[in-house]
Amino acid sequence: MSHGHVNPIDHPEVQMASRRGYMTGFILASVLMALATFLVSSHALPPFALLLAIMACAGFAVIAQVYFLLHIDISEHNIWNTVALVAFIPLFVITIGLTWWMFSQLYLRTMPMIPGMPGMH
Amino acid sequence: MLVHVPGPWSPLLGRLALSEIPYKNLILAPLFVLIVLVGLALVGWITKRGLWGYLWREWFTTVDHKKLGIMYIFLGLVMLFRGFIDGLMIRTQQMLAVGPGDNGIKAMGAIHGYLTPFHFGQIYSAHGLIMILLAATPLLVGLMNIIVPLQIGARDMAFPYLNALGFWITAAGAALIMISLFVGDFSHNGWFGYAPIFEMSYSPGVGVDYWIWTLELIALGTTLGSINFLATVVKMRAPGMTWGRLPVFTWSAVSANIIALTSFPCLQVALALVGADRYLGTHFFTAGFGGNLMLYTNLFWLWGHPEVYFVILPAFGMLGEIIPTFSEKPLFGYVAMVLATFAIAGVSWIVWLHHFFTMGMGPYVSTEFSVATMLVGIPTGVKVFNWAFTMYRGRISYTAAMHWALGALFLLLIGGLTGMMLSIPAINYMVHNSVFVVAHFHMMLLCIVYAVFGAVIYWWPKVFGFRLNEAWGKIMFWLFSAGTALVFIPMFMLGFMGETRRLDWPFDPHWAGLFDVQEFGIAIYVLSVVSFVVLLFVSIRDRAKERVGADAWGTSRSLEWLTDSPVPFYNFAMVPEINARDEVAWRREHGFLDIRPDHYKAIHMPNNTPVALYIGATLFLLGFALTWRIWWLSGIALLATVALMIWRSAKGDPGYVISAEEIARLDREARQKMPVDGGDTVPVGGFAGGQIMAYSREVSDQDRSHRGPKSW
Ligand code: HEM
Ligand SMILES: [Cu+2]
Repeated sequence: MSHGHVNPIDHPEVQMASRRGYMTGFILASVLMALATFLVSSHALPPFALLLAIMACAGFAVIAQVYFLLHIDISEHNIWNTVALVAFIPLFVITIGLTWWMFSQLYLRTMPMIPGMPGMH
Repeated sequence: MLVHVPGPWSPLLGRLALSEIPYKNLILAPLFVLIVLVGLALVGWITKRGLWGYLWREWFTTVDHKKLGIMYIFLGLVMLFRGFIDGLMIRTQQMLAVGPGDNGIKAMGAIHGYLTPFHFGQIYSAHGLIMILLAATPLLVGLMNIIVPLQIGARDMAFPYLNALGFWITAAGAALIMISLFVGDFSHNGWFGYAPIFEMSYSPGVGVDYWIWTLELIALGTTLGSINFLATVVKMRAPGMTWGRLPVFTWSAVSANIIALTSFPCLQVALALVGADRYLGTHFFTAGFGGNLMLYTNLFWLWGHPEVYFVILPAFGMLGEIIPTFSEKPLFGYVAMVLATFAIAGVSWIVWLHHFFTMGMGPYVSTEFSVATMLVGIPTGVKVFNWAFTMYRGRISYTAAMHWALGALFLLLIGGLTGMMLSIPAINYMVHNSVFVVAHFHMMLLCIVYAVFGAVIYWWPKVFGFRLNEAWGKIMFWLFSAGTALVFIPMFMLGFMGETRRLDWPFDPHWAGLFDVQEFGIAIYVLSVVSFVVLLFVSIRDRAKERVGADAWGTSRSLEWLTDSPVPFYNFAMVPEINARDEVAWRREHGFLDIRPDHYKAIHMPNNTPVALYIGATLFLLGFALTWRIWWLSGIALLATVALMIWRSAKGDPGYVISAEEIARLDREARQKMPVDGGDTVPVGGFAGGQIMAYSREVSDQDRSHRGPKSW
């Protein structure tokens, strides 16, 4: 362990952290989660709209957490965070995208359509 | 909001009651007595020898990556044994139960064979979970833990305390699944879990809860470990260790840990949602109320397939170290090998649907995933050819380690080819959920086990300073291989004969003969376990004869063979300066393998800490309390965990410094203990074309101008 001479507080990653950032991230993520829970448990919207609404909540929550809590962005002094982001986006697209595709194909064959969904007959 | 549990519940003990302890069971009760006796004997022995202090100081509180690695491997071997006993019980049940009619052992309440279906289900579920996550994974993580820092010339992992934390959390998971043997039941719906059978209405017991929390703990421990590995390789490489010079095993560790880091969270989420269903009454994976069962299967294999590559890639890396050493040639096609490793890792992300082709999502989706799955064969083929070309015209020595490595290649071939068959949807529809699939993945996982045994034999002298007995290593290899052939060739045949997996009662009398062959195979496996114990015993007894120097095999290539055997706790007395891809082979060729440092620098080391062990213990309590729904205990355990984390983070660890004189003394002593004496020459050697640096100077910048060429 020969890196002990550096004070960890001086690291740029640590310097970037701020109480305000963490609080914002935490509150945003919590509010979005509470909102989604409320929408679902109170059946506030018709089923398909509900689906879209909680998806939007989830999307914003992801952005809030990735940006405010994980400090992942595309700034230059934070090269490894950018690398993480670059590695993460394709994985996200692949997993969510392929899941979406396989389940839409599955539903075509096995499920009654959700009321309110476009293309329903 | 909490789900109402069937059966009694009390605020103090939750669902726990004396009746949950199976003291009437004819297998478990004697086993329990046996374990208690052995445990007491062990405790008595340690106390009598006065070893508690030693164990506490040197092992339980350690943050040394080598010791943690040894503990990981020890844990892996113990769990491998437990999983093996499960396997033996499964085989015996099927052999006894096969055929029509009422052939059960009545004293045990069984209609067929000797196990009730419920008990049988628990055994195969525990077997699968243990073998993949508590045997293979800790064995591989342990080997990576020991070898990766040595191969890149680091003093330890980037985060030594996190490393200890990862180990103790994994150990907590192992403890949780072990305790399910004697307190309550384990899950009975397979290692991956079937929706909606794991829902409360179909599995009202605590088995599924044990399964959830065991998996969550292991997933947490492994994720923490993967962060650590990546940070270590990125940040802790010795001077001159460029990416192009990284040993292939380290490359495979990098790729495997990228997979682990990105995929284990999927498992945690999937199981958290199962937990929400069971504890909070949500309906993520039920058939009604807007839930979707296949979503669980999807989320699980989204992790599950990358996981199988997380375990095979380090095994490939081990083959990439063993084969060149015993062929006396550099690895053929280093760059192709590294690219193939990453290609496999990349493709492993887009194939997971092949585990549920039969879901019914139609031809387009199936085709995509079928083609993607077959693509894996290309980089895998590249690797196999690279190993083959490494051996081609090499000077091969058939050591025990090489036996295991070659055996792994054969299994890889069989497993890979059957995997290709399975990836064709038309074939998959025929054999899905048959024991053909079981045979396929056992070939793959045994390929890993072979590589691990090879690696243990190969790196043992580095860690302990003496070689294992070659003859017993080979005897064990042949016994193990005979067992493998006798168990799994009949299993492939049974798959084609239509035997579905997980049968507690194989009804077709035509299968009987093959079950007998398999049972015979298991008996031979038992012999190989015995020979493993003999191997350890004989080797430790004769350790003085097999004492080795730094370069234990005389033909080794990568950096870990530069430092002393056994590796001192600071790894390298001076951080080496890397000059070539196969640094040790390069130094040997140019005749300065024995160069020792001529000056030393003070070394900064981390302190031991018991906090990781405490956190492991509180997390174990948390898992246990959640399983039994003892809310007050869960609360306390969770609070204690968080408090410990915060306390430790706030306290930090200043570490301690070993002075240069002390290092000089330790290094001299280590050298005297080794049979091959290192010369006392200065750490600079010459070769046609210039001067090299053997050790980094670790001094001020103006000294750096004296450096010879870093690369050539
Ligand atoms: C050439 C590469 C491989 C191919 C093409 C392949 C293909 C497949 C396919 C198509 C299945 C699904 C069979 C079914 O359930 O119907 C499967 C199952 C499985 N494979 Fe592989 N595989 C490959 C490599 C591996 C490796 C490297 C491992 C592990 C180290 C592995 C472990 C497993 C496991 C554990 C299962 C089944 C899990 C279960 O159902 O319990 N496979 N494989
Ligand atoms: Cu797979």
